[in-house]
Amino acid sequence: MEKVIEVKNLHKSYDSLEVLKDISFDVTKGEVVCIIGPSGSGKSTLLRCLNRLEEIQAGDIEVFGTNINKVKNLNKFRENIGMVFQLFNLFSNYTVAKNIMLAPTQLGLMNKEEADAKADELLAQVGLADKKNVYPDTLSGGQKQRIAIARALAMNPKIMLFDEPTSALDPEMVGEVLKVMRSLADSGMTMVVVTHEMNFAREVANRVIFMADGYIVEEDNPEKLFTAPAHKRTQAFLSSVLKPLDS
Amino acid sequence: MNDYFNLLIQCLPSLLDGLKTTIIMAGASLILAFILGLILAIFALSKIKVLEAFYTFYVYIVRGIPVMIFGLFLFFGVGALLNIKFNPLLASIITLTINASAYLAEIFRGGIKAVDIGQVEAARSLGLGYFRTMALVVIPQAVKIMIPPIINQFITTLKDTSILSVISVRELTMNSQIIIARNYRPFEVYSYAAAMYLILIVALSLFAKYVERRLQHGKSH
Repeated sequence: MEKVIEVKNLHKSYDSLEVLKDISFDVTKGEVVCIIGPSGSGKSTLLRCLNRLEEIQAGDIEVFGTNINKVKNLNKFRENIGMVFQLFNLFSNYTVAKNIMLAPTQLGLMNKEEADAKADELLAQVGLADKKNVYPDTLSGGQKQRIAIARALAMNPKIMLFDEPTSALDPEMVGEVLKVMRSLADSGMTMVVVTHEMNFAREVANRVIFMADGYIVEEDNPEKLFTAPAHKRTQAFLSSVLKPLDS
Repeated sequence: MNDYFNLLIQCLPSLLDGLKTTIIMAGASLILAFILGLILAIFALSKIKVLEAFYTFYVYIVRGIPVMIFGLFLFFGVGALLNIKFNPLLASIITLTINASAYLAEIFRGGIKAVDIGQVEAARSLGLGYFRTMALVVIPQAVKIMIPPIINQFITTLKDTSILSVISVRELTMNSQIIIARNYRPFEVYSYAAAMYLILIVALSLFAKYVERRLQHGKSH
């Protein structure tokens, strides 16, 4: 299978604090990779390195064979990589439609009519066709996140990065967002998802990476990682997060 | 009461003349301060150490010196040192411009900084460059944050013009004093001047409220 992301010996520090220590992993085309782990383990930072929202101190990150830290036209390159944030980050000064259409029209990928049609299509896909002309501050968290997914998809990205997309949501809104993500995964999108939703990771991911203290402790298919984790650290984490669900 | 209004009519031409100068002073200073403030704010946000340091220095100096001292120093002090006689109006416009530019620069800088960094990250992650991100996402949101404090600064500068009567600019306060020196009617004449300032500033404040309300409205509908 074609490798679309290759990370080799990545190191990332904030001043003297090293948050990512010698990270290496690959993602192949069409794969859904979930990154789990305790807070402060570096999962979100790792994700943000993949589209260079964070600069790194050492190592290589190749996306489609291009070194993302040496790429000449980073903006052009970022068009291929959609990102969804924990706090949605919808542009509060624009309507839902304009949020979705802004980047494709500004960057010359589509004219206004094409972008408008694309917005309609994506809004239907995330089940929010009736919200086209409202401002983000009138939406619920779950609706905002679905719009944020639509906005990222409007660029026709080849990879989607999700940074704890349901962590800021009320519990009853988690499902609607996960449903959209699940159908995106079913459509063959390559996805890297930092998440605390263990059930989602278990059911949707092809592979799960467990991180702690800036390292990848282990990675495996979800069945194996969740039922028979090899490392003590993984076992401890899983038993602490899964226990409340069992009891 | 009749006397009060008769006196007003008598003084009005001179007071209005002063008011005109007050408005010219405030208007010219604010336009110049706006431009200078924008340049200073760009310095502050430039991430270039020398420019940032200059900005910090400038803001500290200006905020730390009272307008009156600054005006006296420029008009009399610098005037004496260079052996020139400043035009009082010019000296007062320079004083107010420098003063307001520091405060406006802080408002511009603060407004930009107040926009959530997540908005920038979202724009950049979509492939929008730095300038497009600023122009399409950050600045429109920052402007909404900045408008009330900008109008506050306008009001402050308008009132500060009266301080510069000390360097003999023939603005509203100075003209009031000249009239009083002739007619010994401080109660009446100062009340006229106060009313004129008040009308001007209340009008500005109402305008500020109107703009603020419109922006709030524009956000949610």
